[in-house]
Amino acid sequence: MTALLETRGLGRAFGALQAVAGVSLAVEPGEVRAVIGPNGAGKTTLFHLISGLLAPTSGRVLFRGDDVTALPAPARCRRGISRTFQITSIFPELSVLENVRIAVQLRSGGNFRLVGGRATLEATEQRARASLGSLGLLGRAEEPASTLPHGDQRLLEIAMAVAQEPELLLLDEPTQGLSPEDTVATVAVIRQVARERKLTIILVEHDMDVVFDLADRISVLHFGQLIAEGTPDQIRANADVQRAYLGGAE
Amino acid sequence: MRGTRALAAVALVALAVVPWVAARHQLSLLTDLLIYGLFALSLDLIMGYTGMVSFGHAAYFGLGAYASALVLIHFAQPVPVALLAGALLAGAVALPVGWFSTRATGIYFAMLTLAFAQFLYTVAYKWRDLTGGSDGIAGVPKTALFWGGPSLASPQAFYALVAACVVLSLVLCRAVVRSPFGHALEAIRENERRFMSLGRDPRPFKLAVFVIAAVFAGLAGALFAPFRGFASPEVMFWVFSGQGLMMVIMGGIGTLVGPILGAMVFILIQEVLSSYTEHWMILTGVVFVLMVIFLPDGLVGTARRLRARV
Repeated sequence: MTALLETRGLGRAFGALQAVAGVSLAVEPGEVRAVIGPNGAGKTTLFHLISGLLAPTSGRVLFRGDDVTALPAPARCRRGISRTFQITSIFPELSVLENVRIAVQLRSGGNFRLVGGRATLEATEQRARASLGSLGLLGRAEEPASTLPHGDQRLLEIAMAVAQEPELLLLDEPTQGLSPEDTVATVAVIRQVARERKLTIILVEHDMDVVFDLADRISVLHFGQLIAEGTPDQIRANADVQRAYLGGAE
Repeated sequence: MRGTRALAAVALVALAVVPWVAARHQLSLLTDLLIYGLFALSLDLIMGYTGMVSFGHAAYFGLGAYASALVLIHFAQPVPVALLAGALLAGAVALPVGWFSTRATGIYFAMLTLAFAQFLYTVAYKWRDLTGGSDGIAGVPKTALFWGGPSLASPQAFYALVAACVVLSLVLCRAVVRSPFGHALEAIRENERRFMSLGRDPRPFKLAVFVIAAVFAGLAGALFAPFRGFASPEVMFWVFSGQGLMMVIMGGIGTLVGPILGAMVFILIQEVLSSYTEHWMILTGVVFVLMVIFLPDGLVGTARRLRARV
């Protein structure tokens, strides 16, 4: 079985700081992979390298077996890698529905017509509404995105990514800043969407309950390097991980 | 929405009736206001809908004015030919300028547009053989509507042409911002990085709207030259670009109709104040500051907010 996403010796340096170093990992189709590690371990940088927002200083990124290292972020997204951001990134003044509809249009392409494009707006609206329905936001579709509570804005970002019908979904701390109740609800929604749409997910997360709850496999980053990888049970039992992370920081 | 439609109908009727009731100089003033309104409207496309603050928009107004003046003086063509020439030249120059400028964002975009505009101003100022230098080009005639057609020399006729151009431009700009393309522009304004990570490079969109805005600014300039009878470097100067920004802000950013009203209010304030005092610029500044503080959404933006509350 070929990996959906593979990184080979992926690295990124910022001057003297090696934020990510020699990371090689392979994510199988349908897998939910969590990337954990202490603050500053390079998790978000790794996400930027996979989604194309940052260019690596070494190594390669392969998606469905194709080398996409040289492709910029928009092109990778069109190939099927959608992501969310650690700090909520939406279009605040546009309506909830409009946020998702734009996401659909940007992926499917060819329909930003200046003239006679109104019909495509209606076609994309169906997909946008379906995605909002999956994440329980349909009731607020017409409201400006900025008026949603924080938890719903996090869900909206996921809805935007899901509506793009990606093969690989990158979630950067989806439960960041959520109350315990909202966290439980968000995890349930993510699990359900992943199953319904057969998504492959890579997830950066600090909340260990969320990680052990959702992930099929876990990769542990420490100072930019991959120090362990395995099933949740294996990671729980790993002494290196205990030292670097689980016992220490939290 | 029904209220908006009623207002639009009233405005259209008013525009149509004015030539029969207004005195000559009033009609002339209104024609002027509409031309500046079209200039501000075009700026709103990039400033209000795409979040790109240009400090050099006057350049395209000026290019339109010069192209129009030259066509009318040297080739004695009907006015619409001059309008087409003005709009096309503005758009053609905006293409390379926009290509460079949209590589930058925020203040750097503003500075690049300013630099290009001042460069074009200098060209207009120095190229005496073509542009008449600091004197500009005088004696631009109001020719006919088409070959062998009615003359546009009367104030009523030229007013009708300008009013038609402004209404048509407003309709077209509305279609632009309501198209899928227009939705993309707003998304870029709201969050460019998000836009990119959702699958598209924002630059072609920004370049396209920059050129579209320049075309409408060029049209405004192309109307200006025959109306006033001249084209001079002042209409390309950065001060005029800055006034454009003030017009858009006073009228309401991202409302299209607002900037047209903002331009009218801005020019009227100048007209009124300058008849009382030579220090009218200070007073204009005070009015602007008060409006920004108390009506930050501009005239139309504030009106919409108040109506939404009712």
